[in-house]
Formats: sequence, structure tokens, C-alpha cells
Amino acid sequence: MLERLKHLLIKEFIQIFRDPRMKSVVFITPVIQMIVFGYAVNTDVDHVATAVLDLDNSVSSREITARFEHSGYFDMVARVEDEPQMRNLMDRGRVQAILRFSKGFEANLRAGKKAGLQVIVDGTDSNTARIVLDYSNQITGRYSQELLKKRFARLAGSRIEPGKVDLENRAWFNENLVSRLFYVPGVISLLVLVVTVMLTSMAVVREKEIGTMEQILVTPIRPGEFILGKTLPFALLGFVDVIMISLVAVFWFDVPIRGNPLLMLVSAGLYLMSTLSVGLLISTVSRTQQQAMMTTFFYIFPVNLLSGFFFPISNMPEIIQWMTYLNPMRYFIVISRGIFLKGVGFEILWPQMLALLVLGSLTLWFTARRFKKTLS
Amino acid sequence: MNFGRISAMTRKEFIHVIRDPRSIILGIAIPVILLLLFAYALTLDVDHVPVMVWDQSDSTASREFISRFKASRYFKIKGRTDNYRDVEQAIDRGDILAGLVLPRDFAQRLEARRPVQVQWLVDGSDANTATIATGYATAVTQAYSEEVVLQDIRKLTGKVLERPLDVRPRVWFNADMESKNFIIPGLIAVIMMVIAALLTSLTVAREWERGTMEQLISTPVKGHELIIGKLTPYFIIGMFDVLLAVLMGKFQFGVPLRGSVVLLFGMAAVFLLGALSLGLLISIFTKNQLLANQLALLTTFIPAFVLSGFAFPINSMPKVVQWVTFLVPARFLVHLFKGIYLKGVGLETLYLEAGLLALFAVAMVGLTLVKFKKKLE
Amino acid sequence: MRDDRENAVVVRELVKRFGDFTAVDGISFEVKKGEVFGFLGPNGSGKSTTIRMLCGILLPSKGTGTVAGYDILTQTEAIKSHIGYMSQKFSLYQNLTVEENIDFFSGIYQIPQEKKKDRKEWVIEMAHLQKYRGSPTGILPGGLRQRLALGCAVLHEPRLLFLDEPTSGVDPINRRRFWDLIYELSEQGVTVFVTTHYLDEAENCNRLGLLYRGELIASGTPEQLKSELTQGTVWEVFCDRPQDAMLELEDQPEIHDISLFGSSLHIVTGDASTTEQRISDLLNRNGYRVDRVERISPSLEDIFVGLIQSKERSLQAQEEVKR
Repeated sequence: MLERLKHLLIKEFIQIFRDPRMKSVVFITPVIQMIVFGYAVNTDVDHVATAVLDLDNSVSSREITARFEHSGYFDMVARVEDEPQMRNLMDRGRVQAILRFSKGFEANLRAGKKAGLQVIVDGTDSNTARIVLDYSNQITGRYSQELLKKRFARLAGSRIEPGKVDLENRAWFNENLVSRLFYVPGVISLLVLVVTVMLTSMAVVREKEIGTMEQILVTPIRPGEFILGKTLPFALLGFVDVIMISLVAVFWFDVPIRGNPLLMLVSAGLYLMSTLSVGLLISTVSRTQQQAMMTTFFYIFPVNLLSGFFFPISNMPEIIQWMTYLNPMRYFIVISRGIFLKGVGFEILWPQMLALLVLGSLTLWFTARRFKKTLS
Repeated sequence: MNFGRISAMTRKEFIHVIRDPRSIILGIAIPVILLLLFAYALTLDVDHVPVMVWDQSDSTASREFISRFKASRYFKIKGRTDNYRDVEQAIDRGDILAGLVLPRDFAQRLEARRPVQVQWLVDGSDANTATIATGYATAVTQAYSEEVVLQDIRKLTGKVLERPLDVRPRVWFNADMESKNFIIPGLIAVIMMVIAALLTSLTVAREWERGTMEQLISTPVKGHELIIGKLTPYFIIGMFDVLLAVLMGKFQFGVPLRGSVVLLFGMAAVFLLGALSLGLLISIFTKNQLLANQLALLTTFIPAFVLSGFAFPINSMPKVVQWVTFLVPARFLVHLFKGIYLKGVGLETLYLEAGLLALFAVAMVGLTLVKFKKKLE
Repeated sequence: MRDDRENAVVVRELVKRFGDFTAVDGISFEVKKGEVFGFLGPNGSGKSTTIRMLCGILLPSKGTGTVAGYDILTQTEAIKSHIGYMSQKFSLYQNLTVEENIDFFSGIYQIPQEKKKDRKEWVIEMAHLQKYRGSPTGILPGGLRQRLALGCAVLHEPRLLFLDEPTSGVDPINRRRFWDLIYELSEQGVTVFVTTHYLDEAENCNRLGLLYRGELIASGTPEQLKSELTQGTVWEVFCDRPQDAMLELEDQPEIHDISLFGSSLHIVTGDASTTEQRISDLLNRNGYRVDRVERISPSLEDIFVGLIQSKERSLQAQEEVKR
């Protein structure tokens, strides 16, 4: 049996590397995904285009404007003279934030009255807006604190300083809160999913299409061997991809790998159980390679969106959160982020690995049965 | 331009579409599913951040401080502890997003007017959520800190002062900062791009593969008549999608449409023309369904989703990538839609993007007409 | 450029190259109006390529030609309005019903409203598709499909019809019926240009052209070909090692031509006095055991196979000379 298997594997590999379409999926997809998620997809907010409408033009207003500029988050791109100009820039989308100092700002400040500073933010992209507001709050908050301190010193005697509470904030695993570190480990899950599901389903359907399936079935080969012969090459490719992306992530994108790489490989194996079975399953419902590809796409798309890769699962409605328990990608993402960023090991990740094992076995069993039925 | 031939072509294409269940699913079901998902399930908004508290001080002051966090809708106190290990493990397991640790001498230091540091240990792996959560925490802390000072001033001098810098943040266009308000308009644009290109990318290639194209080119039907016939049913499906999305947006999701509906549909039509022609072009060049599919997915799906600015802000991308987004037509439509929906502006503001979109459509249609030859090879 | 009023198709030195491969290598012929012209040849000889050039859907690499008086290089769109074409691969829309397919092509050929219904009924009648009017074309059996395709190609009553292997894969009875249809059309004055690799169908044509490896190696009426190309008698011989016998004996003086036919040999002798005995003896002398010798009347197949085989042999000889 091993002999036959070996020949099947060799044939499969030859076919993969001779088929330009498969080659493109195998080689181009990883590259594209790395570029996209390593560079393009980015929710970090900096270089916020800002305009200033300074009707007061005082030391204080200029001071505050300077602080915004030096924070590194805001780019002062325009000074406007009046309201309509201000609105126009926002409407056209040329700026995302506006600092508006009303006339008499400094005077009010000195007199202890409410000083009018408006920070106007473009809410079109609410996520960015929220972050922009955060940053601006920090800057104005700090200025406010300093003012209070001075006032306090004046009123209560210069030797006494007021108390204050500061938040010393430490971000674990990702000190500088770079969003890329969050996505790149997730890319491994996405990539393995795409490559193994698509290629496995297409490889099987191709044999159906060109008719060689019938030819193979009249040989003494057993269905189990056929299935193995079709899935092992892609399992191997899956592992190769995992290793490759991990290397790129660590050495090119500076993603730390704090946990055990071997654990990563083992989990990848469990993950592959699910993805390969899905690929086979898809092949049983497709008659042409093109159908297989479209069905794969329809499967991968929602699976990816609901896996916690980009949108946190905790933000989803309860029902959908329950549904994600059936999503193998969800577990593997937790595992890869855990191993790369958090440096945790089996003692923390065992629930996810168990889930993958159970899910994988069930899917494999179901698919194998269905597959044998369609073969005979 | 013979209407008899065009209507024969169009009728045939319609029959194909109606009889092909996959086209209907792709054209109608997928957009609806996407709209539902993005409106209800997929959001980056941060609320109810699970936090664990370790109050080493256990004083009135510390409890007061913690109550500020409890009162905020952004935080949910998940539990209390008395050691670091619990916090660590909870973060590792993903049970909490952050731990709040108050030092033992919290109250005393405040009394003595010495600065107090409260530790905020946040799980940074999800940078976006961490940033936002930290922002909220910082805001709460700053507000508390200022109040401490104000109370102190009152105690010392009897003067009741106001917070000196009263910054009123104003959010334009999307005051509630609901992410669905900004995602839905952009999503409509993305859906159109993907659907349009995917649907048409197969149609010409399929005819070549099956051999019916050879028959077709031996008849007197003209190239442009053939193309018009092929484009029409998909154009109608596309506009129907826009209508569906707009209606769902309004009645199901409550996304406000502030600008001109006519402009919205007008821009959609222009864009659709371009996107459909792009799909046809792919089909004409590849003559092979499988390849057409792959190419369509590669050139429309990924760019539309990632680079159009519908979910990931273009300003945050590296400069090089920002230049690349100019090649993604969906980018302009997303900008237009967001402008019309949320900002309520019209052509006088959006003329640049509208113009570029028109250019795209004209270029695509033109290329398709030129490239389609009624010849083999 | 209008050519003879007699000819529906004129072709001069037509060449088609695909990269390094020359599919059609300088062929010239005419097809008279109203005749049934057959293009014969094995697979890959360039028949389909030629027909596609004539229909205006493939541009020649070199050479000139006219179809229905229109130039095949510069007036292809005009050609398409005046011809009907049936491609080798079945090319009607399988998920459209029979009626929908007919309606579609009616629209494309702009059949006037008053005539549409009549023409549709004519096609359905001619193809015996009354029971299948509303059925998807994909489920039709082979013979009916081909007839429907023919019907759609003549909806607009073209004077010139191009049929590329219209009966391939069709059983003999339906082939017969199909050719009856072709005759009907021909009787109405339609010129029919048909390619086929069935030699029995070739006998049905007014004139024939034999294509081999892109070259026209013979043309004429079936009778002309049979008489011109066979001078002499044809003998069918069953012996042992027929291949060796063929190679050994081809240079013998009495033997004009010797070719392999399945497991037998067909020998053409020029001398009227040759007898079975003479042939038997000839073979025996050279060490071959003879099982049977019989005189047969030459068929087109004999002629063509002979032509092709001798062409092969001369090509091989050329190769060897080069070496």
C-alpha cells in the first residue's frame, strides 16, 4: 500500500508543479497576503490631517496647536481663516480633524472661565475618529493638568504641588501597539485555509473533469489510499506555508515569536485536518474546477470574516459568537497569536487544540464517508 | 447599432442568467449576507472591555476611583484579585483585556499631594482594541485627577474653579460614531465591484470554452452589439443590488442618507458600467473560465476590500500603498458614497472623484469594444 | 473584387501558420455555385482551419480568396451575412430550449417579422423536433442536435453553407438522413461546402478535395479521381507479414501501387493480363505465404489511402536524402 501511495504522491506533486494555475495559487497567494496584511491593512492612526482655525491667535492657542503638532499624531496641513473654509476642507475630506480656537480663548483661560476650544473630528470612519479623539484628549488633558497645577501653585502657595493620578499604561505583547503584529500571525491561518481548501478541492475535481478519475478507480487502489494521495501533498504544502510565513513574519516584519514553534507545527497539523476535509467535501459537490474555486471562495469568505482575524469575536452578537465555535480558523488564530505574541504554551492553549482535534476528526470522518459514497 | 440584434442578444443573456442559479446567488444572496454581517456582527467598536481589578489600597479614595471605571459603559469589571499571576493568566487566556492595579499607598499619596501611579496592564496583541481601551482608561483617569485638584483648591482656598480647558469634542457626520454608518456605504461600493467583475468575467470565457462563441462570430452580429447584450442583464442586477442595499441601509440598519439619492444611483451606474466592462475584458483576454475567475478575484476582490478605504483608512497606509489605491476604482466610489451618505455633499465637492470614476468607466468600455474581435486566435 | 459569376468560392495559395506550425500550406481551388463540395482528409490536415478562413472568422497568413464574391481578407463581415456556418463542435446554447435557440438566431439574422414564424416551423419540421420544442437543447440526442444546428444555420436562407464535420459522432442512419437534408438544400440551389473524414460520405459530393498535412493532394469529381488515379486493376491480397511484403515489393515492375488496408494488401497492377496466379507466384517467390487473392473494384478509400501512403513514403525518402 505504501508503494501505491508513494506513486500517487509523486504524480500529484508533478501535476501541481506543472499546472500554472496551481503554481500561482501556491506561490503568489502567500506573497500577496503578506504584502496586504503586512503593509496595507493598518488601523494604527497617525498623520491625522488637521486644520487650525485660530480666531484668538494668542500665546496659549499657539502653544496648544504646537503640542498637537509635536505629538506625532497630527499633521497641521492648513490654517483657515473662516468657518466656510473649515467646512469645505472637512467636506472634501482633505482634513480629518479641526482645532477651532474661538476669539477670547486666552483671556477666558486666564480668568478661570471656560475657554472655548473645539476639536472637530470627521466621524465618517468611526474607528479612526475614536482614536483621534483619544489622542486629542490626552494632549488637552495634559495641558489642562499643567494649568491646574500652576493655578494651584498661585492660590495655595508655590511650595505645594497638587496631587494627581496618572495612568501608567503598559501594553503587553505589543508594546508599541502596532496593529500589524496582530494581523500577521492571523495571516498564517488565512493562508493555510486558502491554499489547502482551494487546491485540494481543485485537484480532486480536475481528475473528475478530465476523466482520469475513472481510470484510477479501475486500478486496485483503495478509496482510503486515494484520499490520502490527494490530501497529503497539500498537507505538506500547508506545513511549508506555515514555516515560510513564520520566517517572513519574524525576520522581515519583526513579529516576535515568544512561544514554542513546535507547538505551532503540531497545531497546524490539527488545523489541517479540518481544512483538508473541507477541501474534499467541496470536491464532492463540484463538477468543474471553476465550480470548486467559486465554492471555496464562498466558504472562505464568511469563515475569514467571522474568525476573529480582523473583527473581534467579542464584538459580535451572541448567536454569531456561538456559531464561530464551529470555525476551525478561529481556534488556530488564537493559537498563533498566543504562540507568537503572548508566548503561552500548551497549558493555556489546550482548549483550542482540543477543539481543533474534535472538529477536525468529525469533519474528516464525515467527509471520508461521503467521499467513499461518491466514488462508488 | 441594430436594435433587432441587440435585443436578441440581450434576451438570450437574460435567459442564461435566470437559468444559472449561481449567478443569482452571487448577485443577490451574497450582497445581502455581507450587508447583514457587517451591520450586525463585524465591528471594531469597543464596548464593555473586560477588566480585572487589584485594589491594593482598599480605601475610600481607591474605591471612588474604581467606581468611575464601573460607571463607564466602556468597561466591565470582570473580577477582583490580589496578585499578579491571576491577572497574567487571565490575559493569557484571553478572559480579560486589561488589568487595573492600584498601589497600596493610593489614598495616602493623594492626601500628601504626591503623584500616584495606577497600573494599566493591557493585552496589546489586538492593537486597535488596546489603543481604544487605553484611551478610555486614560480619559477616566485624567478626569479623576483634575477633580482631585479642584477639590483640593476648594479645600485650601474656598474657591470653586472650573476645569480650565474645557474641550468639547465634536464629531461631524457620524455623531454617534456607529461603525455601521460608515461601513455600510462603503460596503455597497465594494459589493458592486466584486459582483460586477465576478459575474461578467465568466460570460465571454464560457462561450469560448463551450464553442458557442465560434458560432456567434460567424454571424453578422457586431462586436459592440454583443457586448451591449452581455452587459445589460448584469447591469440590471447590479443596480438592483444598489437599490436593495440602500433600502436595507435605510429601513433595516437606520443608516442616514443625507445627500442626493439621484447622485448616488448615478454614480453607482457609472461605476457599474466600468466594473462590468472590466469583468468582460478579463473574460475576453483569458478565454478560459478558470483563469478568468482567478484573475477577476485577484484584481477586483482583494483590492476592493483592502485598498478601497471602506474599512481600512487609506491615510494609515504607507505612502507607496496610498499611491496604489489610486488605481483601485472602488476607492473613488467608496469616497463618493460616504460623502453622499454621511456628509450630504454633492458634485460641487466630489467632482474630482466623480470625474475619475467617469474616466474609469469610459476607459473600460472603450477597451472592451476595441479588444473584442470577431476572430479566432 | 468580384470573381467568376460561376464560382461561389475561390481560393488562391491560401496559407495559415500558427507560430511554427503550418496548418494550411498554399492551397488553391474553386467551388462552383450550387454544387456540393467535399473537403476530405484525416484529422489535423487543415480542413477546419480552411473552413474558418472561408467563413471570415480566421485571418489567413498569406494568399487570397473570395466567398460569395467578398474578399476573405477585407470583407469578412459582409461574408457573414451571406453564409451559414455549422462548426465542428456543437455550438448552440445548451441551456436554452430548442425554440429559444431558433428565436435567438432569427433575431441575429434579422429575419423579417412576417417570416419568423414560418422559418421556425420549417426548421422544427425539417429536424423532426416537434416533440422537443420546449426542451433544453442539451438533452437532445446527437442526430437531432446536428439537425437543429443545421436548421439554425439556414434560417436566413443563405446561398452558401459551410459545414465542418457535421456528422461526426452520429450513427449511420442519422448520417444518412442528414445527407438527405443536404441534398434537399442543394436542389434548391444552395452551395454546400462540407468537410468530413467519412469516405463513404465523400461519394455523395459533386466534387472533392483531398487535404493532407495542409496540402491539397488531389481534387475532382469522385469518378474523375477513381479513373485518373487508378490505372489498372485493384487486387485484395491476404498474406503473412503484409507490412514486410509491401516494403519489399513496391519496386516490382508489375506493381503500380501497393498499400496496406487493415490486415490485407491492396495491389494495383497496370497490366491487363495480370491474374491472381501471377500475383500469388510473385509473393511466393519472395517467400510470402498467400492466403487469398481477389480482384476488387476501386473505392475512394483505396485511392486516398494510396495517395496518402505514397505521400508519406516520399516524405520519408526526402528526410533520408537530407541525412
